Amino acid sequence: MKRYRARYALGALCVVLAVVLKMCIPKLLGDSMDQLGRGDGGATATPDLILRAALLIVGAAALGAVIRTLSRLMILGNSRRAVSDVRKDLFDHLVKLSPSFYVRHQTGHVMSRCVNDMQNVQGLLGPVFMYLTETVVVYAVGLCFMLSVDPFLTFCILAPFPPFLYLARKLAGRIQQGTRAAQEKLAKLSAKVDESLSGQKVIKSLTLEDHDYDQFRSQSLAYRDTMLDVAKLRASLQPMMMFLASLSTFILLAVGGPMVTRGDIELGELISMIYWMMILAAPTGILGFVISSLKRGAVALERICEVLDMPADLVDPEPAKSGEGPGRAIQRGALEVRNLSVFFPALRDQPHLSGSLPPEAKDQIDGREVLRDVSFRAEPGQTIGIIGATGSGKTTLLRTIGRLLEVEPGRVFIDGLDVNDIRLAQHRRAVGTVPQETFLFNMTLSDNVALGRPDATREEIHAAVTAAELEKDLHQIPDGLDTMIGERGVNLSGGQRQRTALARVLLLQPKILLLDDTLSAVDTHTADKILLALRPIMRKCTTILVAHRVSTLAHADEILVLDEGEIVERGDHAALLRQDGIYASLHRRQTRRSQLSRELGLDELGPDASGHSDPDEDGTR
Amino acid sequence: MRRNTRRLWEVIRPHQGLIWLGLLLLLVNAACRLTLPYIVLVAIDEHLVPNKLDGFWTLAGLYLLVAGVETLCRRWQLIALETAGQGSLFDLRLKLFRHLQQLPARFFDRTPLGRLVGRVTTDVEALQEVFSSGLVTILGDFVFLVAALVILFSLSAQLTFSTVLIIPVLVVTTLFVRQKVRRAYTAMRERLSRMNSFLHEHVSGMPIVQMFAQEENRVAAFAEINHGLRDSQLRSVWWESTLSAATEMLSAFTTALILYYGGILQMDDAIKLGTLVAFVDYMGRFFIPLNDLSLKYTVMQNAMVASDRIFDLLDETAEEPDPSSPAQPAGDGHIEFRDVTFGYSDDLPVLSNLSFEARPGERIALVGATGAGKTTILSLLTRLYELQSGQILLDGVDIRQFARSDLRRRIGIVPQDVFMFQGTVLDNIRLGHPGIADADAIRAADELHLDDVVGRFPLGYHEPIAERGKNLSAGEKQLIAFARMLVVAPCVLALDEATSNVDSHTEHLLQGAVHRVMTERTSLIIAHRLSTIHDVDRILVLHAGKLVEQGSHEELMKRRGVYWRLYQLQYQEQES
Repeated sequence: MKRYRARYALGALCVVLAVVLKMCIPKLLGDSMDQLGRGDGGATATPDLILRAALLIVGAAALGAVIRTLSRLMILGNSRRAVSDVRKDLFDHLVKLSPSFYVRHQTGHVMSRCVNDMQNVQGLLGPVFMYLTETVVVYAVGLCFMLSVDPFLTFCILAPFPPFLYLARKLAGRIQQGTRAAQEKLAKLSAKVDESLSGQKVIKSLTLEDHDYDQFRSQSLAYRDTMLDVAKLRASLQPMMMFLASLSTFILLAVGGPMVTRGDIELGELISMIYWMMILAAPTGILGFVISSLKRGAVALERICEVLDMPADLVDPEPAKSGEGPGRAIQRGALEVRNLSVFFPALRDQPHLSGSLPPEAKDQIDGREVLRDVSFRAEPGQTIGIIGATGSGKTTLLRTIGRLLEVEPGRVFIDGLDVNDIRLAQHRRAVGTVPQETFLFNMTLSDNVALGRPDATREEIHAAVTAAELEKDLHQIPDGLDTMIGERGVNLSGGQRQRTALARVLLLQPKILLLDDTLSAVDTHTADKILLALRPIMRKCTTILVAHRVSTLAHADEILVLDEGEIVERGDHAALLRQDGIYASLHRRQTRRSQLSRELGLDELGPDASGHSDPDEDGTR
Repeated sequence: MRRNTRRLWEVIRPHQGLIWLGLLLLLVNAACRLTLPYIVLVAIDEHLVPNKLDGFWTLAGLYLLVAGVETLCRRWQLIALETAGQGSLFDLRLKLFRHLQQLPARFFDRTPLGRLVGRVTTDVEALQEVFSSGLVTILGDFVFLVAALVILFSLSAQLTFSTVLIIPVLVVTTLFVRQKVRRAYTAMRERLSRMNSFLHEHVSGMPIVQMFAQEENRVAAFAEINHGLRDSQLRSVWWESTLSAATEMLSAFTTALILYYGGILQMDDAIKLGTLVAFVDYMGRFFIPLNDLSLKYTVMQNAMVASDRIFDLLDETAEEPDPSSPAQPAGDGHIEFRDVTFGYSDDLPVLSNLSFEARPGERIALVGATGAGKTTILSLLTRLYELQSGQILLDGVDIRQFARSDLRRRIGIVPQDVFMFQGTVLDNIRLGHPGIADADAIRAADELHLDDVVGRFPLGYHEPIAERGKNLSAGEKQLIAFARMLVVAPCVLALDEATSNVDSHTEHLLQGAVHRVMTERTSLIIAHRLSTIHDVDRILVLHAGKLVEQGSHEELMKRRGVYWRLYQLQYQEQES
């Protein structure tokens, strides 16, 4: 912001010059009128004098216009530049906030900082600054000119200003409050529409249209009423300021008129005063608006700073602590987890995050142990399988290893180094996570696959796509790898999205591969094919494989059965079957089902089927 | 454009009284605004130049009075127009929402939700200017300009002729630069929306960006977009500044012209000094509405674009209206599907030539793999989708002959994902039927042992439900859905895997109540756990949209077909 100070000062200086030039015009006019107006043969005007005055006015106006343009370019232009910088800073910062920030804050919430608040700040730095400067200068310069005519008259004219300005400020404050309330109501209304539209099938089946309509109606009504309240306040403020201008002109006439007849001041001076009053009235009318924008902008700036002040938690370890180890690339990918317990989520250390949660949510999650005393090791080439019911902590475990969740020191080690001491860039290059729910960007399929390695060659991308069994799908979408994905392009199915996410990670050739139930939306047959194709890759790295299907895990070197955050059974497939516990019973159930499915020629059958029959739940939203 | 204007007028029409009032006040206000300089003119010419003070005070008082009237008119004009405008927006919003409710389910399958939400909120907001101030103010500005011209002419035709020449120059300049401003503005908006969608995308997908270490890359991409936006903003600032400079210069030029030409006229005694002063004043007031008009043009154009989108949505064909004299057969819940063929897209049938019958009081279970079309059957029965061919009859009447609300009230669906509305637990039980007494609703709930669940809430049944039911478990929500259905007492009961999320304890509680309910009505049950459908009257086994087996549990078991295998499988599972 500091780098703009000089230009703001220059802009303000231009405003002063432009205003002075503008204020000269009434003076010239008044003088000429005075020369014209001396009745009873006293007129001293000649066409030459008048022409001179007229030319001077044109000259002053032309110069004033140029200077004014300069001031606008400087001030408004600067505000755009400054806001553009703030936006950049904000985005740079957003990139450094840990995933837990994004889990805790809704997208809309963050977006409103980036869009609405930014706009208000732009208003503050641009128009508001300009108008305020102009108003101050207009008053200062106008006051000088007017005082030079007659101090008493000036005092009389300006007498009503203080109470009016005081009232205007109060009103503007209330308008601002009202506007904010209205915005909140509009946001609620929008949430309501969103809710109704996403639930429209249920609403129809239960014939709840009227009920839903009533709710929408009452929220619309609340919004309308708030807007009307604001409108009424505005309808007080604006005419009030106009009246102030008229009142001052009235005083000017009432007090100044007799002064002219008494000869205390010249008629021309009175006329100049009238024009000055008109110039003063213009910024006065919008002063209320400027003040409320000023406040709004200040609040917006504060809120943006709130985000900017959040500690960037995705930062590298301090060099002093980590020695020279962290910069080194991870060579092998040996993984060790030692007595890891996770309280979900790790909010206690992040008060700025927990502060935004409703109290009941805090009660629910605080102190709940998602993982309890989990330990295991995996050497390169080994595969650890993890199985367990929903909520047993599988995903949390992977997130901890993938550093999407903070982990206390001394719990997770890669190649013998604590993950907290490994440079983020190195960690990420070495650890590839394929989440269950992925996010595809609005770019081509090949760009999406090459997300982690924009420099990948076409051949490499193709190889990754082939390994993820996505190749045959390429023929079904219009431009193959060059198809635009997402909002402005093609929507992929859940299974296709998962395979894209897999290809994305395979392209990175990670040392540690984390597969979080990656193939849940892919049919069994394809899933088996993918796993078979992955086997050579898995032999080259350390793999943690989370799955629901026992058959997927059968080849793992060690299988951990998680239940409520604890490892309840562990061992390889054969050992677990001998143990005849949870794993063995899962195995029995699933083999029978797949047998039957095969006999029936069905993909999947029974309670564990993960797809939905509804078409619109298949990843189209 | 014309089409829109007419339709917009239709929206405003109910509020036209206020609009006319606003217009009237606006005219009075304009008259006052025109009178004020004239009073100054008279004061100068009649009193100050000849040095006569008698009557001057009356004139000064008149000035204050007119100024007061102007202020009050302005205030009430703003209030009247804003009230009319907000009222119209409110109506339009309700109309849109109603229309959305009546659009077929297919429409929602193909339209992104976000866009529709935008129609009801942002696009309607964009119309605000049109409704609240736009049209009327434009009219007012126009009237003011014409009246000002008339007054100028009557003061001095000569002087007016010479200065009025500047108006075409002003108009042309303003229009030219304004067009540049508009173009720059459009470009800027495009970039802004591009930046916003980039931001939205990256805020949603930030963890992925981080996971793949693409921060620098994305920061660079953002910087590029950000620069583009800034440059286009600077361009629009440039043109805006030019516009304001040009206007100001022209205005000063006019003043100089008046001074020179008017001065000469005054020296020839063709006009008086006050006229000269008033001329400068009037010309100054002339520039404000002229600039306003060109500004409003942009706002109006945006509004027109928004109204296009709104009306396009309103033109979207709603569901076929209910028949004018809907059938209302005495309902005992007889269902018949006749050769029903249906697909969510035309080339991919989900059900083909499906026929079956469910007699009153019969309990029927639908069994089959995911994607076999079980849920679709329920959607078709409640007419969320129209059939491609075939017919569905309820109590011997084609469902298309029913009023939709009546049809859906006869069929009580307990869905898998229960939708919770804002309100208390009790509100959610008697949803949409405010006529149901508290006691009845609570009785229905108690029957389902919902009192156990509700007991943990401090306010019991009056406990407010958090947004989308976040304070309830899936099973509890399903219990509420059951209760909802019970209070309405439909003749057909449809359970779509309704007990899948209920834990075994709750399921046990439910069982008794559900049994009692089912004996009185025709029931369609979709269940994965075959043990829960043991004692139904008939089981329909679906595969790939076709009915492959049907019969009672015993019959199907004897047949040793698909059902038998399924049963074997699940039975063994339970053992293990």
